Amino acid sequence: MYLLEHDAKELLARHGIPIPAGCLVESVSALDRAALPAGPWVVKGQVALGGRGKAGLVRKADSIEQVAAYVKSILGTPIRGRHAGAVRIEQNAGPAEEAYIGLLLDAAAGAVRVIMSEHGGVDIEALPREALLTATAPAEIQALCSCVRRLAASVTIARRAALLDAGERLARVFLEREALLIEINPLFVRADGTWIAGDAKVVTDDNALPRQPAVRALLQSRAAAYPETALKLEHGFDYVVVDPAGEIGLLTTGAGLSMMLIDELRAAGLRPYNFLDIRTGGLRGEITRLVNVLDWIAKGERVRVLLVNIFAGITDLGEFSQLLVSALRKTPQFRLPVVARLVGNGLPAAREVLVKAGIGLHTELDEALADVQRHLAARAHIVGGPR
Amino acid sequence: MINPRVDRATPVIVQGISGRAGRLHSRLMREYGTNIVGGVSPKMEAREVNGIPLFPDCRSAVEATGATASVALVGAMQLLGAISEAVAAGIRHIVTPTEGAPVHDALKARHLVREAGAVWIGASTPGMAVPGEAKLGFLPDDSLKPGTLGIMSKSGTLSYEAGYRLVRKGIGQSVWVGVGGDPVKGTRFADLVPFFAADGRTAALLIIGEIGGHEEEDFAAALTAHRFEKPVFALIAGRTAPEGIAMGHAGALTHGSHGTFESKRAALAAAGVPVFSSLGEMVEGVCGRLR
Repeated sequence: MYLLEHDAKELLARHGIPIPAGCLVESVSALDRAALPAGPWVVKGQVALGGRGKAGLVRKADSIEQVAAYVKSILGTPIRGRHAGAVRIEQNAGPAEEAYIGLLLDAAAGAVRVIMSEHGGVDIEALPREALLTATAPAEIQALCSCVRRLAASVTIARRAALLDAGERLARVFLEREALLIEINPLFVRADGTWIAGDAKVVTDDNALPRQPAVRALLQSRAAAYPETALKLEHGFDYVVVDPAGEIGLLTTGAGLSMMLIDELRAAGLRPYNFLDIRTGGLRGEITRLVNVLDWIAKGERVRVLLVNIFAGITDLGEFSQLLVSALRKTPQFRLPVVARLVGNGLPAAREVLVKAGIGLHTELDEALADVQRHLAARAHIVGGPR
Repeated sequence: MINPRVDRATPVIVQGISGRAGRLHSRLMREYGTNIVGGVSPKMEAREVNGIPLFPDCRSAVEATGATASVALVGAMQLLGAISEAVAAGIRHIVTPTEGAPVHDALKARHLVREAGAVWIGASTPGMAVPGEAKLGFLPDDSLKPGTLGIMSKSGTLSYEAGYRLVRKGIGQSVWVGVGGDPVKGTRFADLVPFFAADGRTAALLIIGEIGGHEEEDFAAALTAHRFEKPVFALIAGRTAPEGIAMGHAGALTHGSHGTFESKRAALAAAGVPVFSSLGEMVEGVCGRLR
């Protein structure tokens, strides 16, 4: 889970990382002067995307009126199709020298990579290679700290103590919270050698949530900011609305095949509504997951057809089809035509069940897509009728 | 060199055999022809499952059967323990379908597997197969057929669909390895480049990737470094996925220009690998070149 800056900073602060005083505001009307830290301020849009500064989502403000104006404009400015759901207003920690430190998972090395630079505040990719100090170490505290010390030894004396201290503290957080990435950029180094995190990026491991109560608590208290992870934690599978104005609901299993199907639908000029990896192996004879998914897809205002695509090596398609038909009966609010494409064991039984329920069954994906397009074309002529 | 090849003689144990998945898949693997010689079940509530003798731990299973390979069908929080036990017992080849294992556990597991010089395939994988010989895991029989195309895949279902369509065009596989969808894993695409280069039974290679991480980029670099001369094809899912959200697999997450389809396409193209953006185009491309 890619934490929003505000949550990343508050998590780091609990581990003793110095951060500027700040607060989270979700609307202009919720802006409370008494809750603000002392000025001057930086107003920062909270969206899990890079390049916020360039997109105008980070603004310096000297007066409360300016803060209010920036809160309003930032909350109303889309960035690459997404909106910041909140802003963090914090005390401007500058002016100070800017450095960089990052710890991240190096999947190829099977280790943790530490990156340090005397220069920060810009995209680390933009720095020349010789400005970066980097090395890998096993995911173990002594090895990581000694890696940090080795790198810091090459840092100019004015910033060495700050980067050394930051590196050792972050190494502990990285291991204790099972992070995949922690980056502080810029890391402000003051004239007296003390430091503070200007920005913070933290990616945590969703798979470790069962044994990371602090991260789990954060997620649960801020579920609206992380809908996909919250949903997975509660329901045990993945569902993402990829296009709120999408017209095709997808009932699919398998992350790769579901992503590929979305790519192919879009390439054909169609608009899929959601990504889903329902994990047929996890249904265990229950309709709960299917009922939930049908209910969520029914909320898509422009969804006009449901495409079921299951390529299951093991799943008994007869049993799956029974569950699907039962789930459809349990969700009367779901009144869309259904096109099914199934491959695997138990196809004859599946055919019998689906035909009886009036659902078209295909074994070739291309045929199913043609059927989907027929439904979209036919329903385009119905104006004002029930969806 | 990491060598994933197994055959019908390779003695295999199943860790977690008495669970629901263990019972089902030990039977299906044996029906396919895999030489399942034992199962590990710490509780030992029975003496056998599907006629397969049970042992309380890996060490006794290996001592009694001479097993060299294991398929571990265990929960996410048990994965590190299962791998550690198998390697300590002398297992040389371990396949772990487990989904949802913590990444820091995978880091530790990878370290100890490498120290032991063993082969680990997974996690988050349907497993691997040498069609006509053996399968370790649950790749669907409909998608398997002996042939000369090597397959490596991050995604289970997408590879089933790809294999199925190619089989129906008469193209089978030499070795099929589901490397899995986790960011840290036992075996990555690049790790198997030397094996596929040297394998006399592989004439061409198909990789099925997805957005996130650097695995496809590292694979492209390894092809160039090894002067890999066989035809290579790639299918990559997630071109239109939203940034910053994990798409099902923990590893399938882009941020900024990292892990994007375009980054992978460019790296693979520079190594001479065509990247197909749909299953239909991939099948046409592979058939056009191999038939």
